[in-house]
Amino acid sequence: MPVSPARSSHGAYLLLLASFLSLSPLASLRGQDAAPGQTTSRSSDVAWSLRDGDRVVFLGDTFVEREGDRGFIETALVAAHPEASLTFRNLGWSGDTVWAESRGVFDQPAKGYERMLALVRELKPTIVFVAYGRNESYQGEAGLAAFRTQLEKLCDDLRTADVRLVLVTPHRFETADAAARNAALAVYSQTIRDVAAAKQAGLVDLFTQLPTTATPGHTLTENGVHLSNAGYAEAARVFVAASGHASSADVAARSVTIRNQVVAKNRLFFHRWRPANETYIFLFRKHEQGNNAVEIPQFDPLVEAAEQQVRSLVKGTR
Amino acid sequence: MNLRLAFVAVCLMMSCLRPALAQRGLKDIPSPDPVAELAAMQVAEGYEVNLFAADPLITKPLQMNFDPQGRLWVSSSSVYPQIKPGEVANDTVTILEDRDGDGRADAHTVFADGLLMPTAVQPGDGGAYVANSTEFLHLSDTNGDGKADSRRVVLSGFGAEDTHHIIHTFRYGPDARLYFNQSIYIHSHVETPRGVRRLNAGGIWRFAPESLALDVFARGWVNTWGHAFDRWGRSLVTDGAGGEGINYGFPGAAYLTAAGTPRILKGMNPGSPKYCGLEIVDGRHLPDDAQGQLITNDFRANRVCRFRLTEQGSGFASEKLSDLIHSQRVTFRPIDVKMGPDGAIYIADWYNPIIQHGEVDFRDERRDRTHGRIWRVTAKGRPVLPRIDFTKLSTPELLGQLKSPESYARDMAKRVLFARGSEAVVPELSKWIQSLDSLDPDFERLRLEALRLRQGLDRGSQHDIDADLLKAVLASPDARARAAAARIVCDWADRLEAPVELLAQTVDDPSALVRLEGVRALATLGGRRAAELALHAADHERDDALDYAVWLAARETKEAWLPAVLDGTFADDGRFGRVIFAVAAAEASAAVPRIVTAVAGGKITDADRQAALSAIAKLGNPDQLRVVFDVVTSPATSPAQATTLLDDLLDSHRRRRVVPTGDVSAIEKLVMSPDDACAARAIEATAAWQVTAATEELAGIAEAGSRSLTVRNAAIAALGGLPGDPPRAALLKLCTNAPGNDEGFKAAAIAALVPRSVTDAAAQAVAFLGTARDAKARTVVFQAFLKAKDGAATLAAAFERASSTLSDDAAKDGQQAVSASGRQEPALTQALAAAIARASTAGTQPAASPHAMDPAALDAFVSLVRDKADVSRGAAIYARENLKCVTCHRIGDQGGRVGPNLTAIGASSPLDYVIDSLLYPAKNVKEGYNTVVVQTADGQVLTGIQVTRSDAELVLRDATGKEMKIPTADIDEESAGTSLMPAGLIDGLSREELADLVRYLSSLGK
Repeated sequence: MPVSPARSSHGAYLLLLASFLSLSPLASLRGQDAAPGQTTSRSSDVAWSLRDGDRVVFLGDTFVEREGDRGFIETALVAAHPEASLTFRNLGWSGDTVWAESRGVFDQPAKGYERMLALVRELKPTIVFVAYGRNESYQGEAGLAAFRTQLEKLCDDLRTADVRLVLVTPHRFETADAAARNAALAVYSQTIRDVAAAKQAGLVDLFTQLPTTATPGHTLTENGVHLSNAGYAEAARVFVAASGHASSADVAARSVTIRNQVVAKNRLFFHRWRPANETYIFLFRKHEQGNNAVEIPQFDPLVEAAEQQVRSLVKGTR
Repeated sequence: MNLRLAFVAVCLMMSCLRPALAQRGLKDIPSPDPVAELAAMQVAEGYEVNLFAADPLITKPLQMNFDPQGRLWVSSSSVYPQIKPGEVANDTVTILEDRDGDGRADAHTVFADGLLMPTAVQPGDGGAYVANSTEFLHLSDTNGDGKADSRRVVLSGFGAEDTHHIIHTFRYGPDARLYFNQSIYIHSHVETPRGVRRLNAGGIWRFAPESLALDVFARGWVNTWGHAFDRWGRSLVTDGAGGEGINYGFPGAAYLTAAGTPRILKGMNPGSPKYCGLEIVDGRHLPDDAQGQLITNDFRANRVCRFRLTEQGSGFASEKLSDLIHSQRVTFRPIDVKMGPDGAIYIADWYNPIIQHGEVDFRDERRDRTHGRIWRVTAKGRPVLPRIDFTKLSTPELLGQLKSPESYARDMAKRVLFARGSEAVVPELSKWIQSLDSLDPDFERLRLEALRLRQGLDRGSQHDIDADLLKAVLASPDARARAAAARIVCDWADRLEAPVELLAQTVDDPSALVRLEGVRALATLGGRRAAELALHAADHERDDALDYAVWLAARETKEAWLPAVLDGTFADDGRFGRVIFAVAAAEASAAVPRIVTAVAGGKITDADRQAALSAIAKLGNPDQLRVVFDVVTSPATSPAQATTLLDDLLDSHRRRRVVPTGDVSAIEKLVMSPDDACAARAIEATAAWQVTAATEELAGIAEAGSRSLTVRNAAIAALGGLPGDPPRAALLKLCTNAPGNDEGFKAAAIAALVPRSVTDAAAQAVAFLGTARDAKARTVVFQAFLKAKDGAATLAAAFERASSTLSDDAAKDGQQAVSASGRQEPALTQALAAAIARASTAGTQPAASPHAMDPAALDAFVSLVRDKADVSRGAAIYARENLKCVTCHRIGDQGGRVGPNLTAIGASSPLDYVIDSLLYPAKNVKEGYNTVVVQTADGQVLTGIQVTRSDAELVLRDATGKEMKIPTADIDEESAGTSLMPAGLIDGLSREELADLVRYLSSLGK
């Protein structure tokens, strides 16, 4: 059952009711935030929320990978659900696409894709966030159909009876050539929305919901592509709002202590799922260091303890 | 067997073989006292060494770089090689200072901690760029307390599949870009504002911090651990495992291990050991003969090495000189070298008894995690230079430093000038250029330095570029300046009016160096005109590097020139050779009709004609191949020409299964050619093209003694490939009744039968192996079965059914062949083991190896090697033919290239590693020598070491050194194998002989 969202803000009861009824609680609010002339999220979005006991997996590219090391989104989601027992496993990989192009390692991407699915299954998630589309968008219109097909396949491959999916659109470019890049990104974002609707998946629409460079003096990226801390903080608000909460203006969400603990946990998990020296520990030079593979699962209790610590800190800030 | 099964199998095998052997030779670890370490160094005459800094000031230095204030930044890791569960990564970047100028660090600051294996540090942009495993960071101190408090992830997504391969070797280039390297096992996927950049395997990245533009400068190498620029900006590269000494780098160059290329370049010192770090030394403190020397480190052999370059063709020749430092201490591990602010040479000493990354347990307690040294090498009796804080100099003073004889001073001055920016520097620079004396012998270089400054300064600004200066340098009388300017045209392409036209002269330049840079620049700019120009270089003589550069340009610009060739508008200035070169290089089969027409019209020169026919043979369709076939069989064609063209035609059959149209039985004429090479190719062609009419002739050649071995063996092999009963009957006859009862021919006949019918062949093989006395012939038979799908299992089944027994020797040949196949083949292995058990008098289970040792026995054996064994006896054993050492391994310039070069094995590897490798070859396989097992669509199973791999083709080198080209489309399955070195090679040696052999090997390179 959904945990109680946003304790203090007005409208909490309404929101609670809305999430019970599986309606999209914030569709109209989101529309107001969108930049002029942009497509807004459609009200047919499948509502999603986080529940007690949820095991969350994040899949995606650099946006997801760096979130693991910044922790804003995860911290905000945990803080918004102080009573819930949630776990987060970040499987972001820089430069990745829906074809798992960054995950082939010594094999072709197709094998990396299979490994990614196997790992997701191993983690037994109840909810998976899928954040792709930016790197694919460099292919423009020509690559759109293939992207859609593969995104649908990814959704089908991830989905089981116990797994809810939430698709995430890429936030805007703030590069020198942002106009052209965002025109391409808009089309890919629309495809992601369409696939989310078709696959009954939830949506976090960063493309329309994050303020853009149109807002004077308000850049959200460090280099035009990757979010700054301020950008991640904004993105965290969008995630929390999309999950059915009116506000993330919670003490816990702003707590550096909690966020540091989230990051520490994610770093431990990084060593667990993408350990250095994979070549020697698990792959074709395993005969040399395979004996040290026993160390890798030893990260598991450390990850769990660190995550427990996150929960304690969240409760402590109430 | 799929990859995972192979791993499981290998793992199971290893678990049986894993006695605690690792690095037993390293029992005696010397005291870490720096005084003792210094005393143990042998230093080249005229030089002396002092300790600049040591633990606890620094620990485990990985890279060092000076800043313009003369401070030394050192990155260190004690987490390496692998973070432990629960361990907090707390590696550091430390700044060392020698404030009183006595050559010893007297101040140190921990600039940054909390890092994870920071393999590189380069101060710059108000802080330092730091490699942090998967991340490329910029750290800076914003509050002035000397410690970094700001951390920016500049780039991320670098691989960490192997922590001694993660990004490293940070260095500013002459263009103010930051260059850095990654090594063989790394796969990087980096999102930049200009798109995703990917690099699989080794290579050199090039990064412009102000624009965040990232690209790959060159690719390949195994452990790409050194990169230096000469005073003209040319790149020299070292490899910690490639063994080819000094390598020449230029944009687009590809070396050993480069992913996805069918062609690679070679280093300049083949067969030389492995090097880490690289610096070109110069300056007034060092003696005249040191000027321009390359200094690098053979950390495995505890040496600091010197090379001298001479310019040659489009690149260099490199000659190894005597060592600068050599230590007998196993813990002296020089890994980085830099010129310092006082004109001395600084050496970073990682200080570790253990250097092996994979081969020694990550948790081996002898891995040192606390010590580290920086040594300072000075020339005796020569004054050191006064140190300069370049940040305190005025802009004109900094420009003046560009005239310095010290590359250190020039580099630091440029760093500060770049940091001051375009507005501050360009006006002064313009004055400075005006002030240069055109009669100064250094004038051309100084003008290039000015252009380089503009290149770096203008990239980060809106300032107009100085096109006139660029044009002046492009017209410099010094080829090195012209070559450098050609590369700069690329950088400024967006801001130049007609960049391609600026490069038009370079491709016909009298200097090969200029042609090389011009071609690479044009290929990078792209477009039809650029492509047409680049191909001018095909008119001129080309050394390896230049030929590669033009070949690559033709491939990269194919889309631009091919339509022009097809519609007849390609501007070749009457030089059709350019078109032939481009079509062949880019495998542009669509253009073959153009070449056929040209050949038919007789409009091409004789020199071009052979290249044209070769291109048609490689790329053409059956009708086009017919044109070549008619030339081959024409009486006017020389045997040598025919041989080359037949090679190309056979290659096309192998790769594309195409055969010349029409009746090809005329090839029979060449079967009888008195030229052996030509006859052998023609015989091979009869099988490839299924010329059944040749059967009788082939059988005759095989049986009669009048032709050479090559031709007769070719005939036997061809009979294996021809359809129908007569060839089979001829082979069966040879199996039992070879001329002169020659076992070699019998074996060849059995091998030829294998692809026809494994069962037929197995029956013959059992009979043959039961009596054959020639070990080589027996091996040929085993190898043939191992190459066929189900071959080994079928042979094993045949052994089981047969009543005849296999001799002990024959079974051992079989075991070696299985071992060299890099696969397990359990059925055959079992059959062979059973045969050995039956053959042994006791009838008991055979020992895994007569030399297997438990730890105590190994201790005793190590003592035997040290005290009693003899190097010269060992050398004689090494040379024994039956041990096959020389067949596969190279020492100096003698021996094969299948296995690792052993020239410095003794210097690089401890005793127990050598013993282990002889006893259990599959246990520690050197990087680049892991095998690949491929099953092809036509039922072959091939094992070898990867030479190159591209989208179209995989090239493997097998245990005999032969290269096998396998079309990617023909690969059914691919898996990882073990070592090509057969186990049990040394079983026939006595314990004393084995000790002598180990002693000899361990003396190599010392």
